[in-house]
Amino acid sequence: MFRRVWEKWKNEAIASCRKQQSSHSDQQASNKTPLSESLQENLDIIKQRLGNPQDLIIRPFLIDNSGRACAVACIDGLVDSELVHDKVVKHIQLLMSPAGKAIPAPDEDIMAFMLNEVLSIIEVKTGTTMEEVLDAMLVGDTAFFVDGSHTTILIDSRGWETRGIEEPVSEGLVRGPRDGFNENIRDNTVRIRRRVRDPKLRFDATTVGRRSKTDLIVAYIEDIAHPNIVNEIKRRISTIDIDQVEESGYIEQWIEDNFLSPFPQVQNTERPDKVASALFQGRVAIILDGTPMVLLAPVTLGIMLHSPEDFYERWMVGSLARVLRYLASYLAVFSPALYIALVTFHPGLIPSDLAFSIAATRDGVPFPAAVESLIMVTTMELLQEAGLRLPKPIGQTVGIVGGLVIGEAAVSAGIVSPVMVIVVAITAIASFAIPSYNLAIAFRMIRFGAMLAAAMFGLYGVVLAFILIVIHLTNLTSIGVPYLAPLAPQLVSDWKDYILRAPITFFKKRPDMLQTKDKTRMKAGRSQ
Amino acid sequence: MNTLPYADQKIGQKEMVFIVANVVIGVGILTFPRTLAAKTGSIDGWISILISGLVASVIGWLLGKLASRFPANSFFEYASLIVSRPVAQVITFLVGIYFLLFVSFEARALGNIAKQYLFTTTPVEVITLAFLLIVQYAVAGTRIALLRLNMLFFPIVLLISAVVQLYSIQMLELDNVRPLFTTGLGALLQGSKEVNLSFSGYEVVLFYTLLMTRAEDAPKAVVKGLLIPIFLYLTIYIFVIGVFSAEVVKNLTYPTIELAKDVEVPGGFIERVESLFFTIWIMTIFNSCTVFFDLAIFNLGSIFPNVRKFTWLLIISPLVYMISLWPQNLVQFFSLGDQLVYFGIFITYLVPILLLLIAKWRGVRGDE
Repeated sequence: MFRRVWEKWKNEAIASCRKQQSSHSDQQASNKTPLSESLQENLDIIKQRLGNPQDLIIRPFLIDNSGRACAVACIDGLVDSELVHDKVVKHIQLLMSPAGKAIPAPDEDIMAFMLNEVLSIIEVKTGTTMEEVLDAMLVGDTAFFVDGSHTTILIDSRGWETRGIEEPVSEGLVRGPRDGFNENIRDNTVRIRRRVRDPKLRFDATTVGRRSKTDLIVAYIEDIAHPNIVNEIKRRISTIDIDQVEESGYIEQWIEDNFLSPFPQVQNTERPDKVASALFQGRVAIILDGTPMVLLAPVTLGIMLHSPEDFYERWMVGSLARVLRYLASYLAVFSPALYIALVTFHPGLIPSDLAFSIAATRDGVPFPAAVESLIMVTTMELLQEAGLRLPKPIGQTVGIVGGLVIGEAAVSAGIVSPVMVIVVAITAIASFAIPSYNLAIAFRMIRFGAMLAAAMFGLYGVVLAFILIVIHLTNLTSIGVPYLAPLAPQLVSDWKDYILRAPITFFKKRPDMLQTKDKTRMKAGRSQ
Repeated sequence: MNTLPYADQKIGQKEMVFIVANVVIGVGILTFPRTLAAKTGSIDGWISILISGLVASVIGWLLGKLASRFPANSFFEYASLIVSRPVAQVITFLVGIYFLLFVSFEARALGNIAKQYLFTTTPVEVITLAFLLIVQYAVAGTRIALLRLNMLFFPIVLLISAVVQLYSIQMLELDNVRPLFTTGLGALLQGSKEVNLSFSGYEVVLFYTLLMTRAEDAPKAVVKGLLIPIFLYLTIYIFVIGVFSAEVVKNLTYPTIELAKDVEVPGGFIERVESLFFTIWIMTIFNSCTVFFDLAIFNLGSIFPNVRKFTWLLIISPLVYMISLWPQNLVQFFSLGDQLVYFGIFITYLVPILLLLIAKWRGVRGDE
């Protein structure tokens, strides 16, 4: 029912956006200001449109000794000023008429002359309207005007300070490449291209955000990824109509299949190697300017629990690590719930010796197990959240305070039982073992639901909660790919890369669940 | 929206096998050794299981035949092709009612057992309600997801019953089993009638063949699907009798769960395995319930195509809940179950077989 309401609401929203958009673009088409022939007038319009900001650089000068007036306009900080200086201003100022050629008269030809003979920069284009010029300048281009010409040359002179290539913070590995993405989209595409030297690699660029005009690139390998997946992702991205897109999370939330699900339906990563391997599997990457988080879709629950390291280490190590992680995800969700169920409803299930000792430790505890767990788990969440926000040196203090206060003092004060502390510790450790941070958060949310179910119905409640989660997961899709694939629907050939990770030489085919165009990964296995 | 070809709404033969097996093994497996032992009085009941298994397979095969004759039609559609629309409406309505009653029965059965083994103070009304809410959530999703759930839970269910049986081997006592072949044919047939009730459920083939990629596999799939419960019933019966003896089993309400009670896990890792066994068993009861619920909606919905699935869910759910609370005690409850099964035999076995005969006679075939 919610879905229907949501669909309706979304459709209406999209329709109204479209209407606005079309009227908007009509307006624009009619309102486009052509450039004037007068240099001074053009510069005045630029100043006026941008509100004459402090960082606007307008530098009028003369072409060589011909006395013809011209100017460059750019935004300080967005441009590589050395490049503008060396390759533009200096060249033109010192322009000596090449052998036998006079500088053309002030009409269109002068621009062609400049392009062909003077400006030694690869990326240039010409513009004829003021809107074009402003858009380009705000991206980091330099506009070059000549008095008497109503076209302009837009020189790609982007060069702002970016963060260098650093090790990914959120996805550390023991073995594997150390480079991560940064906030610059060009650096990020380079990181991918360096790993995927395939002429079929496609970077389909577009901009999102009506005002922010953020660059977005949809990356995929054309003869691997299934066209339906690529088209569906592009279609969903084309419906995005917000005024500003800060981070790839905006894109993720707009294109996901089900916004009511706690589970993330798009993966994010700051590891180029992860993106490259996803592209080779037939998945699609969405790169957004201004964030190191690259989105990968479609994704399944299995993929979320995988780490690139599973493939970098030998298969036994990888398989064992995966089994551990699957176990960890069960523990992360259900261990407090099981504690509640066993202590409150079914003490008979616990071996009698253990049951007695648990009962003895719970002797002075004033709360029922459910309340006890709720206190502890909530405190744990608080600690985690607090530690996240604090600068590193203070973060350690939180650890010590949390560890001591919650571990020792709470027990000796008789507020919680030591067994509960163990359970919470196991839960926390288990949720740290999950490689995707957003999946771990989903598990943390569900944990409270499971605890509630256990508090009401004991083991029966835990099983019902488990069934509920599985129902939800079988209904969930990510860009049309079932979230529980290859388990439901069963695609046995994909089980090589699921809970266990088969030896590398077994992967002769790409994953069946992504229905890749080119299915073959290796022609034959390892020749002995 | 199906982006990928394999993600379409079709099931293969393997899925059908699992669905049939899963639906048949529902609540029946927990109680049948009692009724069977009461009739046959000895280990010889295994012959009854074989007989009724055979009967079930034959009927199942015939039902599969009927359904695969109309690979693209729903039950209501092919029934109207065979015996005019008004008659088909009546039949389909009764089938829908049958499934509706069956959901109520299973939900109540679950409530009863949960109350006996997991809770003592929680009222059965609340237990049943919680369960039915989950079932409704499953039914509200897509049909294919519901069928995939069967595939997910079935291995877990098989595993737990295998574990229980493995641990029971050490408790087998030969004295309980002997003497063999003492039961008369009459008693055996009486017994097989009882077991037959526990085999009901395979009629789902009538309705889900529509979803199969290769409808002609339906009869094979039913028989294969029935082999699993036949085997499971045989071993469970032998173990239950071997551990408790026929005399004791007669007086146990849920002998199969009692079997789990005596299991001792080495190392004392966990005690009272029967609670755990039943907890996991909830999954298979849940599966049969969702399938029956789905079929109730599917059949009632095919008579009134204008009503949306979600509306049906809202109409049927309170009904199911109220009916499940109808029986006041265990005796009433079990007699309701018996009457229900006889109704089911009539409406989902006899009538479809009749339909098959008429279809053959009149030469009606479905459109490919």
